[in-house]
Amino acid sequence: MSGAEPLSGPLGGLRILELADETGQFCGKLLGDLGADVIKIEPPGGEPSRHVGPFLDDIPHAERSLSFWYYNTSKRGITLSLETVDGRQLFQRLAATADVILETFRPGFLAALGLDYESLQEQNRRLIMCALTPFGQTGPWRDYLSSDLLHMAAGGQMASCGYDEADLPNAPPIAPGGGNAWHMGCHFAYIAIMAALVHRTVTGQGQYIDASIHEACALTTEAAIANYIYRGEVLRRQTGRHHAVGPTPRTQFRAKDGAYVCALVAGRLNPKYVRELADLLDSYGMDGDLKDPKYQDPEVIAASTSHIIDDLVTNFIASLPSEEVYHAAQERGFTWGAVRAPEALLDDPHLNDRGFWKEVEHPELGRSFVFPGEAAIFSGSPWGISRRAPLIGEHNTAIFCDELGLSHAELSVLAENRVI
Amino acid sequence: MFRPRALENIRVVDFSWVRAGPWATRWLGALGAEIIKIEWPDNERGRLPSTTTPQDVEVNLNTSGNFNDTNVNKKSLSLNVRTAKGLEIVKRLIALSDLVIENFSSRVLEKWGLGYEEMRKIKPDIVYVSMSGYGHTGRHHHYTTFGPVAQAVSGLTYISGLPDKPPAGWGWSYMDDTGGMYGAMCALTGLYHRNMTSRGQHIDLSQMVSSVPLNGPALLDFTVNGRGLRRPGYPPGNRAHWPSTPLLNNHRGPTVAPHNAYRTHPGEYNDWCVIVCYSDEEWQALVQVMGAPSWATSPKFATVLGRLQHQEALDEHIEGWTMTLGKYELTERCQAAGVRALPVQSAEDRVERDPQLRHREMYLEMEHPALGRHKVQNAPFKLSETPASNHLPSPLIGQHTREIVEGLLGYSHEELRSGFVDGTFWPANRARFPYMEEMLR
Repeated sequence: MSGAEPLSGPLGGLRILELADETGQFCGKLLGDLGADVIKIEPPGGEPSRHVGPFLDDIPHAERSLSFWYYNTSKRGITLSLETVDGRQLFQRLAATADVILETFRPGFLAALGLDYESLQEQNRRLIMCALTPFGQTGPWRDYLSSDLLHMAAGGQMASCGYDEADLPNAPPIAPGGGNAWHMGCHFAYIAIMAALVHRTVTGQGQYIDASIHEACALTTEAAIANYIYRGEVLRRQTGRHHAVGPTPRTQFRAKDGAYVCALVAGRLNPKYVRELADLLDSYGMDGDLKDPKYQDPEVIAASTSHIIDDLVTNFIASLPSEEVYHAAQERGFTWGAVRAPEALLDDPHLNDRGFWKEVEHPELGRSFVFPGEAAIFSGSPWGISRRAPLIGEHNTAIFCDELGLSHAELSVLAENRVI
Repeated sequence: MFRPRALENIRVVDFSWVRAGPWATRWLGALGAEIIKIEWPDNERGRLPSTTTPQDVEVNLNTSGNFNDTNVNKKSLSLNVRTAKGLEIVKRLIALSDLVIENFSSRVLEKWGLGYEEMRKIKPDIVYVSMSGYGHTGRHHHYTTFGPVAQAVSGLTYISGLPDKPPAGWGWSYMDDTGGMYGAMCALTGLYHRNMTSRGQHIDLSQMVSSVPLNGPALLDFTVNGRGLRRPGYPPGNRAHWPSTPLLNNHRGPTVAPHNAYRTHPGEYNDWCVIVCYSDEEWQALVQVMGAPSWATSPKFATVLGRLQHQEALDEHIEGWTMTLGKYELTERCQAAGVRALPVQSAEDRVERDPQLRHREMYLEMEHPALGRHKVQNAPFKLSETPASNHLPSPLIGQHTREIVEGLLGYSHEELRSGFVDGTFWPANRARFPYMEEMLR
C-alpha cells in the first residue's frame, strides 16, 4: 500500500455546517470522524461549551476544555455572529455550498433571522438541515429549558435505574452520568441525516429534519414501554440490573479487589449451565457441592437458586480479582464481565489489538494526547479522528479569505465589528 | 397521502436476533428499506416465552409485545440456513440485496460459509454490518455480551450510582438500544458510501467497543490529567458534585447546585422531579417560584460556591417545597418562570401523561394479527420529505416465506412445499401455524 492515496472516510466530500452547543456537538464529531468536512460555526469568542470542565492541567481556559476537545475532533472552526447583517450574508454564502446544516438553536431563532430552511434552500435545493432540539419544533414543551439530567428524568432512564430496597431503602431514581441524553439525541440525529443523504444520492433533493432529544430518550428504555403497553405494568428499579415487575436475583457480585463483577446467572440455570458453572468454580476449587448429581434435576436447581447464587457464585467471585473472574468466565463461554471504571480500559489488550486508542496532536501545545477511537472498523473507508478540536476561529482565514474571497483587510474589519 | 421513503428500493438481509440487531433494522425499515428477517423457530430468543405477552393472549412465537415493538416494518422468512438448500436460498437473496446485517458471535456467519469474502463474490458491492459483542478482530473476539455485560466492561455501569454504594448501572440493556443505533448508523454510512463510490465493505461493529467512546471526557481526564473515576464522591448520584468531597467536574455538564432529584406529592414510587439551576439568575427564579421562603434568601445560597458548599441543606429545603406539589404542576410552574425542571416519568407516564410526546404522536396504534391493536413507538425525528413511519406490524414467524421464495427469488410453489417437508423452511416435526398451511395450498 506504500505510496497509495490514504483511504478517505465514508463521508469524504461532504460539507457540514455545525451550529451546535453541548447538545449536538457529538453528532458533528461522528460526521467529522467519519470523513465529512465539518465546519463548526461558533459565536465570536467561542461556544459556551468551551467552558465545561475538566480542563487541561485544571487551568480553566476556552482552549483547554477536555469536554470540548473530545466532542469536537475532526472539525474545522470559524467564528461568525448571525445576529449581524454581515454575519448572516456570509452564512448564506456558506449555506449555498453546504450539504448539511446541523443546528441546535431554540425553535424559531434562525427563522427570526431570516435563516430558516425555506430561505436557505432557495439557493441550494440539495441542502439538508437538521434541527436537533430538546423537544422538537412543535408542541407544548417546545420552549422548555432542559439539561442532561432533565432529559434522563422525563425520558424514563431514571424511572428504570436505582437500587434494591435491601441495598438502599427509599433510594431515589438514579440518572447515569456522562451526558448520555445528548448521546441519545445525537445518535438518532445522525441516523436521520444519513437517511436524508442516502435519499439525496437518488433524488438530488434535500430536506428538513426536526429531531427531538426528549423523544430519543423516551425511546431508549428497552422493554419498559412494551411492558406497559401490552401488560399495563410499571417496572421497579433493581441494583445494577434490569428493571422488573418485582424483585429479581442480583447480578452484581463484589470481587476480592473491591470491584464488582456482572454475572447473569439467574434465569439461565439449567442442568448444562450448572455443569459448566461447576467446572468453572472447580478450576479454583470453589465448586462446593455443585458437582453433586442432584443438581442435574431442574427441580432441585430451581429450589437451590439462592444457594447457587448467594453462596457458591458469591463466594467464588469474592475469592478472586474482578478481572480474573471476567476472563476465566468468558474463556469458558460465560457472558460475564468486570464492572470497570473507565480508566481501566486503557489497559485492555483487546482494544489495543483493534487499534482503538488514538494519539491526537495538539501542535500549539507541542503535545499529543490519547483519545478513545471509533465504535467500528470499516474495511473500505476508515472511521477515525482526523484532527484535534479547532481553536477559536482557527479556520477563519481559510474559509472566509481562501474560500469566500474576502481580503485580509475585510476580515480585520469584520473582527473589529464583532462579526467574526 | 403518498410519501416517498428515504430508503426506497434498499433491501436488507437481516439475520439479527434478540434486541440490538433487530432494533437497528427496525429503523431502517421505518425509513423505507425492505427488511427480510431470516429466522428459525427457537433461535430468535426475542420471540420466546415472553414477559410482554398480554395477560389474555396465548404465549407463542407470535405474541411477544416487545418483539412486536422491536420488529415492526419487517418481513419474515423462516429458513434453516444450516442446510445446503437453505444456504443456496440465502445466497440468491444476498445477490438481490444491498445490505447484510447480523449480531451473532464473531465467527458464526463464516462458519455457515457466509463470510464477507464469500458475500462479495455473490454481490460485489454488498455492505455487510456485523454487530458482535467484541468485534471480529482483537484477541477477545470470541467473548460474548449482553447489554449489561458490555456496559460493565466498557465503564458505563460504573458511572451510575451513589458514592460508596454498588454501581446502580443501567436498569435495562442501554447498549442493546444504543448498539442498535450504531448498527443503523453504520449501515446508513456504508450505504451512502456505496451510493457515492459503488463500493461495498465490511463494517466490524462491536457492542463493547462502541460503549467506550460514550465516556470520552472522563477518559481524557485520565489520559491528559491522570485522574480516574475511582475517587471519593464518584459517582455523585443525580448531583453534579457530592458534598464534602474534592470539587471536581464529574462529566455531566457544569458543576452547579441545585442539580438533583426531589420527591413530589403524593410521594408514590415514581413521584419525583429533577431541578437544575445553571446560573444565579435561574436560582433566583426558583426562589421566586418557591414563594421566596426565608431560608432561600439566605446569602449562603446566593452564589454557586455557596450552594455547592451547603448542598445538603439546600436539597433538603427544596424537597420540602417539591413535596407539596404534583410533578407535572411543579414542572409547569418552574418552566413558566425559566427554571429547569421536569418530572421523572415511568413508561405509563410517557404513554399516558406526557403532553409533548402526545402532541408529537410518539405512540400511534397499529393492528397486529395475533396481538390486536396496540400503540407502537415512533421515530424521534421528522423528515419533511421522507418521513419515517411504522407501516408493517412485526411479522408472524415465516409469514412472508412464500412471497420471498416464490415472488422474489422465483422458486416454484412445488419447491416451497417440498422445503416445508424436508425441513428447509420449517422443522419437519414441528406443528405449523395455520397461515403456513394457507401458504402451502
